[in-house]
Amino acid sequence: MELNAGTAGTGSLKTASERDEVAALESLQFTDEIRRLMSAPATDNASSFTALLELPAPQAVQLIHSPDSAKLIAAPPPAPNVDDFKGSFNFPFNSGLIERATRFSLFAGDGNINDNNKSNSPEPTSYNSSANLQKPVKSEPTETESYQPLVSDPTVENRSTKRKDREKVKGSTKKSKTGAKDSSDDAQKLPYVHVRARRGQATDSHSLAERARREKINARMKLLQELVPGCSKISGTALVLDEIINHVQSLQRQVEFLSMRLAAVNPRIDFNLDSVFTAESGSLMDSNFSGMVMPMMLPEVQLNGNRQQYPQQLHFDAFQQPVWGTEEVCNNYITPENSLLSYDSSGNSASLHSNQLKMEL
Amino acid sequence: MCPHTSLKQQFLKKWIMGLQRCSFSKKNMSILERKKTIKLSADIAMASARNGTTRWSRALISNASKDGSDNRLVQQILGPDSNTPAVATTTNKARTRRASVCKKIVKRSHQIRRRRRKCVAAAPVKAVTSSISKHLVRKRTQVLKTLIPGGEFMDEICLIEETLDYITSLRVQVDVMRSVASACFSQS
Repeated sequence: MELNAGTAGTGSLKTASERDEVAALESLQFTDEIRRLMSAPATDNASSFTALLELPAPQAVQLIHSPDSAKLIAAPPPAPNVDDFKGSFNFPFNSGLIERATRFSLFAGDGNINDNNKSNSPEPTSYNSSANLQKPVKSEPTETESYQPLVSDPTVENRSTKRKDREKVKGSTKKSKTGAKDSSDDAQKLPYVHVRARRGQATDSHSLAERARREKINARMKLLQELVPGCSKISGTALVLDEIINHVQSLQRQVEFLSMRLAAVNPRIDFNLDSVFTAESGSLMDSNFSGMVMPMMLPEVQLNGNRQQYPQQLHFDAFQQPVWGTEEVCNNYITPENSLLSYDSSGNSASLHSNQLKMEL
Repeated sequence: MCPHTSLKQQFLKKWIMGLQRCSFSKKNMSILERKKTIKLSADIAMASARNGTTRWSRALISNASKDGSDNRLVQQILGPDSNTPAVATTTNKARTRRASVCKKIVKRSHQIRRRRRKCVAAAPVKAVTSSISKHLVRKRTQVLKTLIPGGEFMDEICLIEETLDYITSLRVQVDVMRSVASACFSQS
């Protein structure tokens, strides 16, 4: 059938491209393992697990490492699951992916893999091909990529035709694939995710997309649960959201309350500069928390000592100069911090702060 | 909290700078004005510590710079290095608003289709409970959207990510403010 011929051709094409990508990747610790796996004959009919684990798409793994998660502290990188068109192989590179990997059972299929012309039973073809053919068209809404749907469609068809034996996998298996292309090397963009239907579930494209979206949301909700104290025991999205809402509201209220408190303390807004620092130079030495305000205070003390007529409202630019200029004198004041505080030129105020906060924390 | 140390330093530095800049404008302020200024400068400092990488920070800054009274404060606080993300936020908001509207239309059509299918297929009990839970979740996401600055324009996935970041930023803010406040109080 021309379908099989086409699949054979594209299958080999895919492995070649994947081999190139493997060679290109350095950061993977699995590179050697992958190469070993790849050296296993790709076209044999062995129903072994290792034969199925051909190259998992390294771009997706690279994307997992990519700095697209730089913006969020605690959020995992929203990388799609790594896969190739042979089997599902999730690299648990961080906790978010580890969770997902444990959830998505590893695919331990049997049957033939690759470009072999196996007779396609019509049933799995219709079962999967429609779902997966539509999947590339209806990609993840947030991921826009440099994928070429033309090339990926035949690969999808290729995969779907080989699925007949994979239905025998016990339990519900979820496979997600990345349409890996050479052009998707730019680590900023994520390729779209193929999501395979579970056993006994609807396979139309809408529910597949819904399911992928829900998986994403659930992964992030797990992170939120870990962040908010007391949420990990709660099950159920509504209750967890309740807790999160309560936490955010309480934090916002605390900010309001603290700002009111600070406003009430001192009639002036730049309370930090004069009243706090000058008066507290002694008492703050012992207390823990004050580490962060102390070194700022020390130069203040010096400053106020040196210039009595110094205006109460200091302009910050002028402030910076004299402050960091009086470093040497301040070192004598507080011995415990001597080793910790590294007074440098004015450009190093950041290191100053870091030391203070390290003392505090 | 070691991982937040740099964030704390950044926040503290920006906050103090902002307060100093603000203190030039008015000599005598009522307590409420002071509180407002303190809070505003703290929020702006927190948001600018993110450097425009997250949506809530951009939304917060743009919201603050919208009204006339706070605008001057914001300009003062942000100062010469103010990369006004105002333009970016408007386009971002417009884009997300349009995206959300389109998504709503698509979602509604799906729901109608699914409801039709459900009436035929699903057991009545399951449908009722699932719809109730969905309703509850939707209610709560609405509330969360009002809490997070700029949240009304985000879809669920972004909302959860922004919530994560917002919570950590709020925690840093509360910690720093609390220690400064206790330092102030321990002297008086």
